[in-house]
Amino acid sequence: MLQSTTIPLAVLLFPGGVFAVALGLMLKGMDRRLAARLQGRIGPPLAQPFYDLVKLARKRTMVPDIAAEPVFLGAPLIGAASMLLAAALVPIAGVYTPDPILGDLLVLLYLLAVPAVVLMVAGSASGSPFGAIGFSREMALMLAYEGPLVLVVATVALRVGSFSIADIIAYQQVHGAFLFDPMMWPALAAFLAFYPANLGIIPFDIPEAETEVLEGPLLEYSGPALGLFKVMSALKAVVVLGLGIALFWPSAPDSGALGILAHLAKLIVMMLLGVTVLRVSMGRMRIDQAFHFFLKWPLALSVLSLVIVACA
Amino acid sequence: MTLLQTLNEKAKQIAVRSPWIYRINAGSCNGCDVECATTALIPRYDVERLGCQYCGSPRHADIVLITGPLTARIKDDVLRVFAEVPDPKVTVAVGVCPISGGIFRESYAVHAPVDQYLPVDVNVPGCPPRPQAIIEGIAQAIAIWRERI
Repeated sequence: MLQSTTIPLAVLLFPGGVFAVALGLMLKGMDRRLAARLQGRIGPPLAQPFYDLVKLARKRTMVPDIAAEPVFLGAPLIGAASMLLAAALVPIAGVYTPDPILGDLLVLLYLLAVPAVVLMVAGSASGSPFGAIGFSREMALMLAYEGPLVLVVATVALRVGSFSIADIIAYQQVHGAFLFDPMMWPALAAFLAFYPANLGIIPFDIPEAETEVLEGPLLEYSGPALGLFKVMSALKAVVVLGLGIALFWPSAPDSGALGILAHLAKLIVMMLLGVTVLRVSMGRMRIDQAFHFFLKWPLALSVLSLVIVACA
Repeated sequence: MTLLQTLNEKAKQIAVRSPWIYRINAGSCNGCDVECATTALIPRYDVERLGCQYCGSPRHADIVLITGPLTARIKDDVLRVFAEVPDPKVTVAVGVCPISGGIFRESYAVHAPVDQYLPVDVNVPGCPPRPQAIIEGIAQAIAIWRERI
């Protein structure tokens, strides 16, 4: 009885839902602001992503004549919904542990692949040649970064002996965070390379390259449908960074408010250092360079860490 | 009803803080485009603090900047791209060419003024206009857009 009320709450209100959307938009705002400052500009207000979303909600959604309309309009819905569910699966150490009924780390891995698939579907359903280019690049990039991610997650799960998110948090609260454990550093490095690619941040924003393929799959979207994609990407930032915190850095004070604050601080550090600084200091890679990079370094590092953990 | 109206009014106020800009080059010599792209919208003048953002796709746009005298060759394409911008939208003619044809006005190959074919809301004259003038034009466009969104 208790579960049936807390799960919708978790998906729609607190760690997922409203809270995660607001958090994700806030992180995006901070990212844009810091990027502007690093480029010597003043930059937009912190709440700019909220303004953008309200604006998009008031615009018209246009569907291209050659688009497959149900797929074209359904894709953003599926993407946003999957990330909403995934946000409820991400724990906040000391505050929130996802209900095992919702799923474990493997479910989270599958949900994390949905936005990339949705972008591919959206790009090809739009009928635009830029969307098709975005489709093929997204697919290549996804093949390259999913492998390291799975191996990183497997490494952590092997170390802890469980795929349950609650167990992983509990293990690290007893034995110390993996962030400070040299044995886990190769996996950590692989994860640090993975998340800019998953979030579509500049050295790896190849599928959506704005100056090159005009945001690829998003090119034909407008109005509320585009807004849903913005919500999806804001939620994805919260989910992916939250996953990183859960895997490597869940040490936190036990009390509720302090736990949330610690989680927020970690998210902000990961966003600003791992995303903003990276994206303003690098140029975009070509798809073949990114593909080779992921199959060389992160994959090797994650295999290495899996071997170390398996032998230890 | 009144609550709905206040909410609607509030949403309108928030929405105008996010004007996204799209540029159409209607056969311009590139002078105005350089002013738009590198001078008016990059570090020194930074209209991103007004919430503006350049977008690569006409479908994302709210404010359309048109430069150039609308050459015969490109006219149909310009009209087609303009139709792809979802309503509500505001159009700004940047430079003297879209306003009157400028130095090309007698030419058989241009169709200026642009407002014969598109509803132009703001004119920013100049050859090319100063960045400050372009920013003022964008600010006026935002004021007009507030009435439409």
